[in-house]
Amino acid sequence: MTTTPGGAPSAETVMDDAAQPIRVEGVTKVFRQGPLEVHALRGVDLVVDQGAFAALAGPSGCGKTTLLNLVGVLDTPTTGRVIVGGRDVSSLSRGEAADFRLAHVGFVFQAYNLVPVLIAYENAEFTLLLRNRDPAARRQIVEPLLERVGLGDMMDRKPHELSGGQQQRVAVVRALATQPSIVLADEPTANLDSAASDELIDLMLELNRELDTTFLFATHDRAVLDRTPWVIRMLDGRVVEDGASR
Amino acid sequence: MIWRLAWRNLWRQRSRTLILMSAVTLSYAMVLAAMGVGDDSHFQMLDAAVEGAGGEVLVHGEGYWEARSGDILIDGAQTVGELVAAVDGVANVMPRVAIDGLLSTAVGNRPVQLLGIRPRAEVALRDVDADVVEGDRLDDTELRAPLLLGGPVAEELEVGPGDRVVLTATGADGELTRALFHVAGIVRSGRADLDEVLAYTTLEAAGDALGLDDQLVQFGVLVESGVEPETVQDRIREALPEGGAGLEVLTWREALPEMVGFIEIDDAFLYVYAVVIYLVVVFAIANTFLVSVLERVREFGLLNALGLRGGRLARLVLAETALMTALSMVLGLALALAIHGALARWGISVAAWGIEEIELAGVDLANMVMRSQIVVSKWVTASVLVAVATISSAIYPALRAARLAPAEAMRFYE
Ligand SMILES: Nc1ncnc2c1ncn2[C@@H]1O[C@H](COP(=O)(O)OP(=O)(O)OP(=O)(O)O)[C@@H](O)[C@H]1O
Ligand SMILES: [Mg+2]
Repeated sequence: MTTTPGGAPSAETVMDDAAQPIRVEGVTKVFRQGPLEVHALRGVDLVVDQGAFAALAGPSGCGKTTLLNLVGVLDTPTTGRVIVGGRDVSSLSRGEAADFRLAHVGFVFQAYNLVPVLIAYENAEFTLLLRNRDPAARRQIVEPLLERVGLGDMMDRKPHELSGGQQQRVAVVRALATQPSIVLADEPTANLDSAASDELIDLMLELNRELDTTFLFATHDRAVLDRTPWVIRMLDGRVVEDGASR
Repeated sequence: MIWRLAWRNLWRQRSRTLILMSAVTLSYAMVLAAMGVGDDSHFQMLDAAVEGAGGEVLVHGEGYWEARSGDILIDGAQTVGELVAAVDGVANVMPRVAIDGLLSTAVGNRPVQLLGIRPRAEVALRDVDADVVEGDRLDDTELRAPLLLGGPVAEELEVGPGDRVVLTATGADGELTRALFHVAGIVRSGRADLDEVLAYTTLEAAGDALGLDDQLVQFGVLVESGVEPETVQDRIREALPEGGAGLEVLTWREALPEMVGFIEIDDAFLYVYAVVIYLVVVFAIANTFLVSVLERVREFGLLNALGLRGGRLARLVLAETALMTALSMVLGLALALAIHGALARWGISVAAWGIEEIELAGVDLANMVMRSQIVVSKWVTASVLVAVATISSAIYPALRAARLAPAEAMRFYE
């Protein structure tokens, strides 16, 4: 069972949407590969509070990506419930899921995060564009954020003209631009050297504090884990240690 | 936004897009150009066929067309001519006497088909007088029994304007008759087949030669533009006494069925050619776009993860195809118009290919010059079909893009 810092016992049944943007209840995920069944998640319960900065840790294959995909409504659980921002997203249709992601979830992936034919600025404003925000409004949101992450003079560059760390920062801006309930990141630093990795984590931590946005990400990186206030350890499809109280 | 993405995606694989575009451009241009040439040659053939038949509708004695014998006559020709001329939709009536006979001079004999005509009435079909290269025209000669001879005939008989020639033929009474003619002029139409066998005289002189009395061999009829020969054919039949008993009313299509068949087959070949070309092109496009979708699985997964619905991903792929098609078709149309313009202006002479004799249903085509003509409705239809075929070739790749499961797609290349 999960515990949350200062969580009341009643949190299991009554949800304060604003206080607990992510709730995972008894979730399993089985992948079928022909005759083979892969049990990627074997019963996961997890609650992440509003404004948390939480890392999923664990060896390769333990189910981190699978869990993030369920929380990000990129996939549906085999059993159990996933509740994001107070809404049960366990069985949304493909189209509804896409709409839900656009409205509530920001993503930063490990690599190939940006659309190659769009410049940094266009990539950053992409989700706002999908939300039909007008150009002026988009500029008002995206430009300060890009400057904030130190890319003020690189807005016109194509992704391949940016370093890995710069690309990830554009992705962070894109994830935050729509003010989502949660930002999910799957190994965002895996392709970065340690300096760039530190920078990105610092940036994410600062933005987490400034904007009070909830971050949940997966990582292998010890250095990253050392700087993360809340580490959730997984092993073989289960949460084995929820270091929320740390 | 979809269009901006589509446009830029199109130029990511520049050489692939250009190859695809040239395939669409060239095939589209070739189909249009082939259609231009085909339609023009058909129009030329139609003209040649109408000319060869002697009119769009023909009125003559029962059995004449089959036997072509000069003793099958229209009696009461004056009345019949007036009735036909009064029929609605008739533009032009050309009374004729055709005589198969032998021309003789001191030098020798030569079989000819002598046509007795009213030169002015025939102008709309074929202006014989315009081909006179030496001597007088039929229309303004003073001679009572004038004769226009084709160049080759005049050479063989060694006669020129003013010389006398004797015609021997079977008269209206079935007896052999002879008549004296004076050569008025020499005709060179540029069509050897005609110049070698045809000779012309006035309707009156021909009638006198055969001893005709209010009798004719044939009325050639031209119809007003926009009126079908078949309609006029029916009306003429109705207008004739006793529904035209003893007379035969034919359209040029009935008179020259082989020609009609040839044009239809030629048209059908063009369709088959176009369809085959397009199957290949469409298959190539479908294949290329499928490859381009499969190459971008990860990217489509990303777009979908960010909230672009599957339907919009499909539209992105279709938009890429639509842009490519539109661009190619503009270029293809320009190319087709250039080819059309060049052909329409300069033409390609069939004779220049070394083809000396090409004849169809008695109509000589060796002098035909390949030009081009645009039948707007056919070009529009072909263009719409090409556009639809090309764009729809991307439907399957688009559906593949729409159906990608984001979690699966994102696992690519990780
Ligand atoms: N689509 C799939 N089909 C089949 N098996 C899958 C699929 N996705 C994940 N798995 C399996 O599920 C298990 C968990 O995978 P997951 O990607 O969640 O691990 P992870 O913790 O993210 O690993 P890593 O640290 O290497 O990224 C693995 O055994 C993996 O092989
Ligand atoms: Mg993973």
